[in-house]
Amino acid sequence: MIPEAIKKHITGRISIAPLAVFRFLFGFIMLVSIIRFAAKGWIYGLYIKPDYFFTFYGFDWVTPLGETGMYLLFLGMGIAALSIMLGYFYRFGIVIFFLTFTYVELIDKTNYLNHYYFVSIVSFLLMFVPAHRSFSLDILRKPSLRRNYVPAWTINMFKLQLGLVYFFAGVAKLNPDWLLNAMPLQIWLPANADLPIVGPLLEYTASAYIFSWAGAFYDLTITFFLLWKRTRIPAYLAVIVFHMFTWFLFQIGMFPFIMILCTLIFFSSDFHQKVIRFISSFTNFLPFSQPESKATDKKAFQINGSKKSIISSILIIHFILQFLVPLRFMLYPGNIFWTEQGFRFSWRVMLMEKAGHATFHIRNPETGNEWQVRNWDYLTPNQEKEMSTRPDMILQFAHHLEDEYQKNFGGDVEVTVTSNVTLNGRRSQLLIDPNVDLTVQERGFAHKDWILPFNEKQQNWFKNLQ
Amino acid sequence: MLHFRTTLLITLLLLLTGACSSNTSSDDQSNFDRAAMLENYGNNIIVPAFESLQTSVDDLQVAAEDFETERTLENLETLQEALKSARLAWQDASPFQFGPSESVLLRASLNTYPVDTGKISDRVSSGEDSFGTIDSRDAAGLPALGYLLHGVGDTNEEILSMYTTDTDADNRLDYLLGNISFVKEKVDTATEDWQASGGDYIGMFLSEENAGTDVGSSLGMLINSYVKHYERFLRDGKIGIPAGVRSAGTPRPLAVEAYYGGYSVELASANLQQVERIFTGGDSRGLDDNLEALGAGDLSSEIQTQIDEAQSALDGLSDPLSQRIEENNDPVLTTFEEMQQVVTLLKADMTSILGITITYQDNDGD
Repeated sequence: MIPEAIKKHITGRISIAPLAVFRFLFGFIMLVSIIRFAAKGWIYGLYIKPDYFFTFYGFDWVTPLGETGMYLLFLGMGIAALSIMLGYFYRFGIVIFFLTFTYVELIDKTNYLNHYYFVSIVSFLLMFVPAHRSFSLDILRKPSLRRNYVPAWTINMFKLQLGLVYFFAGVAKLNPDWLLNAMPLQIWLPANADLPIVGPLLEYTASAYIFSWAGAFYDLTITFFLLWKRTRIPAYLAVIVFHMFTWFLFQIGMFPFIMILCTLIFFSSDFHQKVIRFISSFTNFLPFSQPESKATDKKAFQINGSKKSIISSILIIHFILQFLVPLRFMLYPGNIFWTEQGFRFSWRVMLMEKAGHATFHIRNPETGNEWQVRNWDYLTPNQEKEMSTRPDMILQFAHHLEDEYQKNFGGDVEVTVTSNVTLNGRRSQLLIDPNVDLTVQERGFAHKDWILPFNEKQQNWFKNLQ
Repeated sequence: MLHFRTTLLITLLLLLTGACSSNTSSDDQSNFDRAAMLENYGNNIIVPAFESLQTSVDDLQVAAEDFETERTLENLETLQEALKSARLAWQDASPFQFGPSESVLLRASLNTYPVDTGKISDRVSSGEDSFGTIDSRDAAGLPALGYLLHGVGDTNEEILSMYTTDTDADNRLDYLLGNISFVKEKVDTATEDWQASGGDYIGMFLSEENAGTDVGSSLGMLINSYVKHYERFLRDGKIGIPAGVRSAGTPRPLAVEAYYGGYSVELASANLQQVERIFTGGDSRGLDDNLEALGAGDLSSEIQTQIDEAQSALDGLSDPLSQRIEENNDPVLTTFEEMQQVVTLLKADMTSILGITITYQDNDGD
């Protein structure tokens, strides 16, 4: 039924080395990320300090666990990352990591980042593969676990996932602002003009165009160049250069390093054997065992029976969703950058410069009294900033204001918002209909008809742009 | 072979970059010197603002000591004038609440209002003279001095008697002097921390590594503090809150700045003038020039126009503001709305064009 050429990439038997290295590096970079996150005081700043959290629709039950709870959760996450890296009680570690990490990401959408979503997905996929059956402490603990070979799908699905991330990130760049106006890079690059060497170059408009087009080309094609053996090394150099550029220019955290390490999975088994030998030369005190190169059936990993059909159904559904979710924006009318309906979970990375100022008005319909809200009484500066450009968060905050009013004073209240938003250098314009009482609007996936349409003709503050 | 391919790739890349840049004219290079702008802000606006605040607080202390020696009507009036000068000087320094001012909690210490007059009276009677605690904030600083010098009697004769014949007269004077010393200590620390001869925060402010636009950069901190000040402490604190926009529509005339001195509009106007001066950079490079250099001159002139309109609305009000609010609040609300326009332009449009993030907290983006 399935052609041999494709079957080879699914059930064909290949060395476990790339998977084991992938597991090691993923666990390592996650451990570093968690330590960095804690050291910067973000556990407190993002999950303990705020009074209010913007939950995801349908996930209102995900709430922070209080001060001790959050620190313990992150401690558990860190230990799980270490367990993934060392391959010690890996099955346990990866499940704990996926659950704790995803739980934290679901607490507040203010902190949503595509790379956090990427981490959740990778850890989800890692739950289904025998990444601990070589180059791990588990095989010392239980030598019978050891395998030299795995079915090709356990490695290729990560390549597919990475390919989808890059590809959709590239497709998202194919829009007029990115290609014709070099926006938002025309704002972001000159902001870095103080950097040594490259700084002065960034002030040229031409640089913004070159970076925009090169970025789109990179995202759309890099997977193919990584897959093809003859272009793999230059392609990987491009991966390093591209991500290091983004690291220098933008406040982007660990993401460049995560991608640089994860894309190594495109390399051959031989390469990964070398990596294992290289890492082992440093960590001799950790007696990792190396995969042997001789093939024996006994040393191959196989899943059979119902387990096999369950796992394959889960993965098939996962990848169908991975194709469809980034495209769901097409179900909504209007400009996606403006409405952000279907924006998250779609690999739309570094695509727009958006800033806003939202003033909430509360009106008591009985007395006719009207007053304004001090957003900062309820939100952290970061929450206020993220909220003021995003309709779904504006609605959530309006509902929260209604709840707070009813809790303190009781009775009915109307909440409207004056929200001015600037997108990619355009003069700010109203995002939400200022006459709509947001307390009677419902949350959900339906189109929000109280978002005002984006005026494509809006003046751009930059004189050279339309 | 590998070396050859890599070399070829790099050569091609360089050729491509070279070809593209030589094709474009260099006139779109903004050539704006951000370091020069920061230097103007640091040396010509910020440090002088703190230094003149320091001088006026010194004068205030001298006037208070003269009043202590000779408790006359004349010396009371001189002291009242000295307080007003200090409060006006504060208007020029108040938009800069980052770095040294932030670490000594300068704003909360110097200018928390409205004051709790009951608390002040209790503290005066009991001889309580500790300042600097959170609980004493609304009984300390410049607004508390305003109450002590203008609010303890209806006429200056009555006020004077509170320092001469009243049972708590000496206690009250001690409280006044203690409060001035507290203000002076805070202002001295902040000023010296800024100065090159002291803590040299100015050196850090102007250093190369802080010349970027990220959250911790000098410009990032300056603009965050500037916008926050305008939104919360000028527009809201001086006009909006007294006009009742934050209190279910009920005006709160007692919440004006300098309620007892009765020169609230004068202070707000001076503060708005400083806001405009910060935008234009005074006589030298400022944010307006930065926007123009980026090709957003229209935004620059629009911000200036809006600040001017807010200024003329504000100047249309007259002191004492608390009485205006009680008589007819509408012009005050209109002024608030005029001031509101500026917030959007500064907070959304300007920061966006400049590539500055409005957040007081470091975080990753994507």
